Amino acid sequence: MLPFTFYSPTKIVFGEDTAYGVGDILKELGGSRPFVVSDANLVAAGVLRAVLESLKEAGLGDPVIFDQVPPDSDLDCVRSASALARQHGCDCIVAVGGGSVIDTGKAANISLVLDGDIRDFEGMHAVPRALAPLVVLPTTAGTGSEVSAVAMVKNKDEHTKLAFGSYYLFPSVAVLDPKLLMSLPPKLTAATGMDALTHAIECFCATTTNPASDALCLESMRMIFQDLCRATMHGDDLDARSSTLIASTMAGIAFTNGGVGIVHALAHTVGARYDTHHGVTNAIFLPYGMIFNMAACAHRFAFAFRSLCAALRAAPEPVGHWFAGASQHDSQAAEQLIEAVRQLHRACRLPTRLRDIGVPALSQDEISELAVVASTDSAIMFNVREASVEDLEYILKGAW
Amino acid sequence: MAVFCNSDELHHVMDMLWRRIKDDPGMSGKLVEAKLIVQFRYRDPEGTLTIDCSDGNEMKIIVGPTRLKPVIEMSMKADIAHEFWLGKVNVPMAIISGKIVSRGPTPKALALLPVIRPAYTLYPQVLQDAGKKSA
Ligand SMILES: NC(=O)c1ccc[n+]([C@@H]2O[C@H](COP(=O)([O-])OP(=O)(O)OC[C@H]3O[C@@H](n4cnc5c(N)ncnc54)[C@H](O)[C@@H]3O)[C@@H](O)[C@H]2O)c1
Ligand SMILES: [Fe+2]
Repeated sequence: MLPFTFYSPTKIVFGEDTAYGVGDILKELGGSRPFVVSDANLVAAGVLRAVLESLKEAGLGDPVIFDQVPPDSDLDCVRSASALARQHGCDCIVAVGGGSVIDTGKAANISLVLDGDIRDFEGMHAVPRALAPLVVLPTTAGTGSEVSAVAMVKNKDEHTKLAFGSYYLFPSVAVLDPKLLMSLPPKLTAATGMDALTHAIECFCATTTNPASDALCLESMRMIFQDLCRATMHGDDLDARSSTLIASTMAGIAFTNGGVGIVHALAHTVGARYDTHHGVTNAIFLPYGMIFNMAACAHRFAFAFRSLCAALRAAPEPVGHWFAGASQHDSQAAEQLIEAVRQLHRACRLPTRLRDIGVPALSQDEISELAVVASTDSAIMFNVREASVEDLEYILKGAW
Repeated sequence: MAVFCNSDELHHVMDMLWRRIKDDPGMSGKLVEAKLIVQFRYRDPEGTLTIDCSDGNEMKIIVGPTRLKPVIEMSMKADIAHEFWLGKVNVPMAIISGKIVSRGPTPKALALLPVIRPAYTLYPQVLQDAGKKSA
C-alpha cells in the first residue's frame, strides 16, 4: 500500500442551533475582536442573526462585518476584506456563507496576519506560520471548504482560479448548523450537493487517495444519493439538510487528504472564464469526467456502486430504483454508477449542458485555450488518468 | 544520512543534470516554450538552482543564489530531489503532504512533469559521472 498522510485538525460541531454557540467558541480560541465575513444575500435572508446574537451574548458585540463577498471570491475582494480587518484590529474571523465566503475568510486571514500581498502566498504550503483563529459556518452543503486546507480565489484579470493551500488554512472550528441552510434555494441546494458528490467520486478514484478518505467518500456518496433530492425539493426538511451538510463536510475531509481530479479542473477553468457556478459546472462535467476515467478506474466505480446498492437498495423511490442491483462486471457496474449520477442530476432538475448555463458557443481556438488552462489547473494533478489537451477539448465539446 | 555530503556536491549534480536536459531538444524545447522561471530551493544540504526560460528562447541554468524573481519556487529536502530524479516520488502526494512546498502557480510547473520525465533515465548516469552511487 502507498504511504500517505491524513490530517484533519478542524473541530466539527454539528447540530440545530449550534450557530448560537459561536461567541463562546471564539472566546475559547482567545478571540476578542471578531471580523465577520459574509455576503449581502445572507445578511438580507437573516442567516447571520444567530451568529450576531451569540457574539453579543458572549460580550463580543459590535463585530466588524464585511458582507461584500461576490459569488466566487476574487483577489480584490480578499484585499478589501483584509484591509478592513486590519484597520479595525480584528484578531479572529467568523465566516458565515458558502464556499465563496469561507474562502474569502481564509484568504483574508493570510493578509490579516502576514505582511505582503496575498499573491505572495499562492501555492501549496507557502503560508509560513499560524494565522488568526477562524470559525466557519457553511450555509451551503457542497464545497467542504469548512474542513479543507485550500482557498480558491479568482483572478478576474487573467480569468483564472488561484489555489492557496496550507495546513494553516484549516479552519479552527466548523460549526454545522443545518438551520442556516433552510433559505438556500432548490437550484443552489442541488448544485452545491453535486459539488460534494463530485468531491467524493473524484477523490475515491484519485491517484492520491487513501483508505481513510475512501471510507469518507463512500459514506458521503450514500448520504448524498439518499437525501439530496429531498433537501432540494423540501428545503425545510432538517433531516435531509443535516444529512447533506454532514456528507459534504465528510467529502471535504476526504478530498483535502486525497485530491480531486479532471472534473474540478474543467469546472475551475470554465467557472473562472464564464462566471458559472462551481457546483452546477461540476455537475455538468461529472458524467463526462467519469466516462473519461473509466479506462483507469472502472473497478473503483464498480466497487462504489456495489456498496451503494447494498446500502440504498431499500431506499424510498426513486433512489431505491437507481441502486436496485449491480452488475458483476466491473465495466457495467461502473456505467451503472454514471447512470445513477445522471438520474440524480435529472431528479434535481439541474441543467446538463454548458450552453444551458450561459457558456456561449465556442470556437475551436477558444476550446483549445480553455483546455490548455484546465491542463494546468491544480486539481488535474490528482486525476487517475493522465489527460492531454486534446482529451480536455473533447470533453469540453461534449459538455457544451 | 543525507544523499549529498554538502552544497557543492548537490549543486554539481543538479547543474550537470540540467545541462543534459538542456542538451536534449525534446525536453528543453518544451521547457523554453513555457517561458517560466522556476527556482528549486534545497535544504540538508542547502542549495538553490534556478531555471530561467523567461525569454522563450534559451534555457539558462543558474546555480546558487540569484536576484532573479522566480515565477514558481519549489522547496524540498535535497534527498527528496534525489528521489524525484530517480522517479520514486509521487509528486501530487508530496505536495499535499508538504514534503514539497511550492510558491506561485504550481500547476504550470506540474504540467511540465511529463516533459522532463525522460530525465529520470539520465540521472543515474549523472550520479555516476559525478562520482556518486545511484541508490
Ligand atoms: N476551499 C475549498 O476547499 C473549495 C472546494 C470547492 C469549492 N470551493 C469554492 O467555493 C465556491 C462556491 O461556493 P458555493 O457553492 O458554496 O456557493 P457560493 O458561496 O458562491 O454561494 C452561491 C450563492 O448562494 C447564496 N447562498 C449561500 N448560502 C445561502 C443560504 N443559506 N440561503 C440563501 N442563499 C445562500 C450566496 O449568497 C450566493 O449568491 C467557488 O468559488 C469554489 O471554487 C472551494
Ligand atoms: Fe468543488
